[in-house]
Amino acid sequence: MVIDFNTHQKNWCWQAVLDLWALMVLWAFTGAGWPNLSCTKVLTETEPTFFTGVQMQTQMQQTQHQATAAPFSTSTPPPSSGGSASEAPPKQVAQAMDKLGQAGRIIADIRIGADRLLEALFVAAAQPHQGNKPLQLFVKEDACMRQYLQDLRSLGKELEESGVLSESVRSRKDFWGLHMPLVCPDGAVVAYAWKRQLAGQAGASAVDRTRLALKAFTDQKRRFFPHLDDGLEGSESASKKRCGSEEIAVDPKEEISFLKTLPDVLKSLEKEVPNLKILTFERLDWLKRAVTLTSSTNESFLEHNYHGSGKLRLGSVGTVAAEKVAVIELLVPSVFRAVISFHHAGSMDPDAVAFFSPDESGSYVHARGFSVHHVFKHITEYAATALQYFLGNQTETCLYSLLHWICSYETLFSKSCRFILQLLEL
Amino acid sequence: MPIRCILHWQPNQGTVVNSQVLNEISQCVETLNGVKEGRCKASLTFYRPNLRDQSVTIDFPRDFLGISMLELPNKYFFIIRGQKIVLEADSSILLIMEKLQSYKSKVALNFEGVLYKLGDFQIRVIKVVPNQAESLRGIMVEIEYLPISSIEKSKQIMEEFIDIWKEIVAKKSLAGQFMHAEPNYAEYGLGDNYTSQHTAVQYAAALAQLIQSAQVRN
Repeated sequence: MVIDFNTHQKNWCWQAVLDLWALMVLWAFTGAGWPNLSCTKVLTETEPTFFTGVQMQTQMQQTQHQATAAPFSTSTPPPSSGGSASEAPPKQVAQAMDKLGQAGRIIADIRIGADRLLEALFVAAAQPHQGNKPLQLFVKEDACMRQYLQDLRSLGKELEESGVLSESVRSRKDFWGLHMPLVCPDGAVVAYAWKRQLAGQAGASAVDRTRLALKAFTDQKRRFFPHLDDGLEGSESASKKRCGSEEIAVDPKEEISFLKTLPDVLKSLEKEVPNLKILTFERLDWLKRAVTLTSSTNESFLEHNYHGSGKLRLGSVGTVAAEKVAVIELLVPSVFRAVISFHHAGSMDPDAVAFFSPDESGSYVHARGFSVHHVFKHITEYAATALQYFLGNQTETCLYSLLHWICSYETLFSKSCRFILQLLEL
Repeated sequence: MPIRCILHWQPNQGTVVNSQVLNEISQCVETLNGVKEGRCKASLTFYRPNLRDQSVTIDFPRDFLGISMLELPNKYFFIIRGQKIVLEADSSILLIMEKLQSYKSKVALNFEGVLYKLGDFQIRVIKVVPNQAESLRGIMVEIEYLPISSIEKSKQIMEEFIDIWKEIVAKKSLAGQFMHAEPNYAEYGLGDNYTSQHTAVQYAAALAQLIQSAQVRN
């Protein structure tokens, strides 16, 4: 959809889209929190068939969990709770998967509805003399959306009761020793636990197994045979292209077309923001670091600052190849520490970002965590919105734009009247 | 460590500080939606050298202070304002001093405060009372900003908060105002990263200001 209209209207429309998303987040999962909307990416690529329904579930569950544990968290069984106590656990599991699929389809409908709303807005903006037609369209879509969101909310409640979504409920032991579908933070779904398979009953569906196997093989291939990757990368980036308007928010003087690899992006960032410290990590290593974080004055014992040799230095351990990087830490000394995590190791797609005080340390300091300080909590919320904007709008340069946006906060405490007023209004 | 700024209350000429003023100030904090969280306490002691020959006292520093804070029970701070020295010691130094008997405690003051939480800020409303008596000698307000530890980076935020605070207090038309005198930390050899030594220096400086203004009035 290429519409040629002036910048002001463009900005206003995008603002409306962002507001809509914010509204949806609030409506759909009040209380459960929904910091990451990366599932929307999957939705626009393919129809919600059962196969991608599974993929949807993983994405949705991945975003649902305010994941604090290591990627290989032990699967905790759900309780036999509420109305579903009378049914055998295999049926519970099947029902849960089914409901997750339904939720996926409702989300797809919501997304299409949002597109229609946006279209109505565009039409109204572009041709103001059209009169009532856009308004009627808008009203109709609004009613549909409300219905979808209501359905989603009730579905969410059902899922919560059955123990799929809520972390605390999962910790109670189940009589049968069976598990609800477990989603690891890196997106892999373990549909049925090993216990069940040992018991000789029907294991994971063939589809799930194939998908898991394919994912495992692809990851291994990427690690050990990076030179064979070219075909794979190309097709992935093509499928992520959106039919959005051509927008260049980055300084036109910059030659951003060469920033295709992670080392390049980090190198150019280092040049532009001199007092920024960049560190890269593999996912598990970040967790180790998070609990031993100290304030910026003690950073001296860590080697950092990225070198342009194609390898990325990792703390005092050694070098980390760009393909293994899963977490980036940006530290502006005495101002903030931002943690960005990638969708999977080696990709350049950020999927979560969070801000913290440079003095904070602990296992909650990660890309999906929240700071204890209000100011950084607010910035993290903005960051989630910004991330969605960059993912949707500037997919080619998403990481670069996001990192730049983060760095703009280095003047957080030098030009910050807005934040004080916000804090005092608490 | 989070940054702290101490403001001391300067009563107008001819007036004294009393508990009414203290109540009004506490109310100011509550109008900002401050939530009472607890109490805090610190005590400050003026030391005088224990000499047989009293004429030699001029060779010794007049303003040798010792500060202890309830939130740091293992530490004791010494300050000599004249020479801009601050020292952080273990609290067992008090035992040593008692055994040595080289310094005697001249005056002891308590800083008793109530802690309020406002978002990312914390405010302590502190009354200065002598150790043995209950009479109110002065009022201090300690403002703490939790997210960052760099004094330089937090300067702007603190100044703006202090301005807002002064405005709110001014609305109550009390007989006095809050003054903020930022000590020169570099002279004490302290860096940009805030520590409890900075707090001790601020306490000493604020107290000196209170004493000075009391002397001017009398």
